[in-house]
Amino acid sequence: MKFRVVHFFSTIGLSAVIGASPLGAQTKSAAWEAGMVLDTAATSQALALGARDAGLGLGHSDLLVRGTVGALFSAEAIVGFHTADRKLEHHLENAWLQTRALPQGFQARLGRFASQVGYLNELHTHSDDFTERPLLNRGFFAGHWLGDGLRMNWTAPTPFYLRLGAEKFSSSSTLNLKVGNDWGPSHSWQWGLSGITNGKDTPVVDHDAAEGHHSHAAQYIGRRVWLTDFVWKWAPHGNNRNEQVRLMWEHAQVSRLHPNADPGMKNQSSSLGAVWRFQPAWEVGARSDWLRAHQAESSGGSVLFASGRLQENALMLAYKPSHQQTWRLQWTQQRARGANDEGEPIFSNPAKRSFQLQYVIGLGAHGAHSY
Amino acid sequence: MVRTVIKASLAAFLYGAAFAAQAFNVFACEPEWAALTKALMPQASVFTATHHLQDPHHIEARPALIAQLRRANMAVCTGASLETGWLPMLQQRAGNPAVQEGRPGMFYAADFVELIDPYKGSVTPFSGDVHVEGNPHLHADPHRLLKVAQALRQRLSELQPDQASTIDARHRQFDASLRAKLVDLEKRAQAIRGKDVVGQHASLGYLWSWLGLRQVADLEPKPGMPPTPVHLEKTLMKLKAQPALAIVVASHQDPRAGKWLSAQLGTAVPFLILPATVTQEGEAAFFQWYEQLVNALVQSAR
Repeated sequence: MKFRVVHFFSTIGLSAVIGASPLGAQTKSAAWEAGMVLDTAATSQALALGARDAGLGLGHSDLLVRGTVGALFSAEAIVGFHTADRKLEHHLENAWLQTRALPQGFQARLGRFASQVGYLNELHTHSDDFTERPLLNRGFFAGHWLGDGLRMNWTAPTPFYLRLGAEKFSSSSTLNLKVGNDWGPSHSWQWGLSGITNGKDTPVVDHDAAEGHHSHAAQYIGRRVWLTDFVWKWAPHGNNRNEQVRLMWEHAQVSRLHPNADPGMKNQSSSLGAVWRFQPAWEVGARSDWLRAHQAESSGGSVLFASGRLQENALMLAYKPSHQQTWRLQWTQQRARGANDEGEPIFSNPAKRSFQLQYVIGLGAHGAHSY
Repeated sequence: MVRTVIKASLAAFLYGAAFAAQAFNVFACEPEWAALTKALMPQASVFTATHHLQDPHHIEARPALIAQLRRANMAVCTGASLETGWLPMLQQRAGNPAVQEGRPGMFYAADFVELIDPYKGSVTPFSGDVHVEGNPHLHADPHRLLKVAQALRQRLSELQPDQASTIDARHRQFDASLRAKLVDLEKRAQAIRGKDVVGQHASLGYLWSWLGLRQVADLEPKPGMPPTPVHLEKTLMKLKAQPALAIVVASHQDPRAGKWLSAQLGTAVPFLILPATVTQEGEAAFFQWYEQLVNALVQSAR
């Protein structure tokens, strides 16, 4: 079934691409457009909870088609692919239909999509400012919190931005509030508050199982998640082409980890990043993340909890000669502490120092980016 | 907490409903379309998404812009992929059926005029930010602007039929006074006809074609790509061999490359920083802007 959906979208997409503009047709009738993003990186040492292996690898890349379906809907489908443990993996990341004609600022979306909780979760990774997502997204959401479901949003007709949203996925539901505005001609900001009610407990690690297995499951999740995020951007006269400063902060707390866990036991993570575009094509950035989490381990029929802390600092320099290309050099450092009763560390392989050289290239439609 | 949120939303909802009932709200992507809308319909409430110090290709889909598009009865934009990096995201986020693609409330100026320099080569990721449809900065040609004004008059009248006669009258007045102004400007610009200019990006391409100037060099090595030292060195050699009337960059562009080039050439080639769009509001904005452009270029010839 999943395959058939993709096939359907790609057929429409390809037939439209021939006549579509590479920057996205934006004339009388919006045509379907298709595009591909390739994200390659050379990594000196893999990061704890990281998505990239050491050596040369394909990061989060994708093939996408999007367009409008009549006057009532727009649609998008994305097949994501990347290498993990030297193998190419792929999955249907997005396949949704969204209304564009509901009255009073209401919008509904049906299908598979990334949740709009937090700041980064719903954004495409290829426009990220760093080679890896923050520890928060990696530790709690395995990169992306996504699923098959229904979303309902309402945007208020206020002079500032106010949006209320609810999502229902097969095993979780979310509530989300976003507020934002400009502040004078040079500043803009956005604040978000989100909650997730999740139908699953934190995964229990089987003590005897082999280590090093590549997993897509969210590792430090629980039944309740709260997130808050704040973004502030500055550009002289709001002209972000030549110069811009961006500040992004996200914080999340996971509770109700497991029925056997102390009710007060919580996992927490914070990420603070800053990027400065100092020349039209050049950016520098720094990010600091921490994650405090409890690992559930099964031992002789009971579940034990051990806590650990992971700290990550990153510095990056990016060169973006055009919309379609990004070169990025990043230095990342991790520090871990915490072990279980047997003295085994919770985060076993923190990278003392990792260098990453990343190259992202977009072919075909690249679409519009969100704030 | 939940009750407060519900109350606040309800208040916002009622406030918005009351506001929407009052005015005809227009979201203009660029200041030239805000000025044109105001010229034809002064009673409209017009929000301008960008100004002359901003590069209209590189605008972000900021929360403030989503909020404004959400409240709009109509959006007036350039099209031809100029706003492709931000407008589709605003349309997707605003949840406003009136300004979706294909609706009468979504007006693209580029749909009503012929564009210069459509990109004919095959587009690769290394081509730069090319527009296959052609140069979208069409408002710098007043004759094309007059055509857009005609189309906008018609669209505004369709959307606000009870205002049609006043919109018509305003349009007739605007059309006549701009044409009269152009006679004067074109006479003065005869002095610089056929001369060479250096530009940055194709921002003023329509100005050159209107006044009969030739852009012999672009400070950008490829469309949308910032000037590089190697490219500037090449441009310098070219200009030493064949001096141009002026080096012209737009107010929103980084002036350093043009300044450097001009300094290398001495006083022979004047360096001009000109707004790539209107800097004032309403009908007078166009007269003032075209006057400023023609004046600066004619002065350079002296």
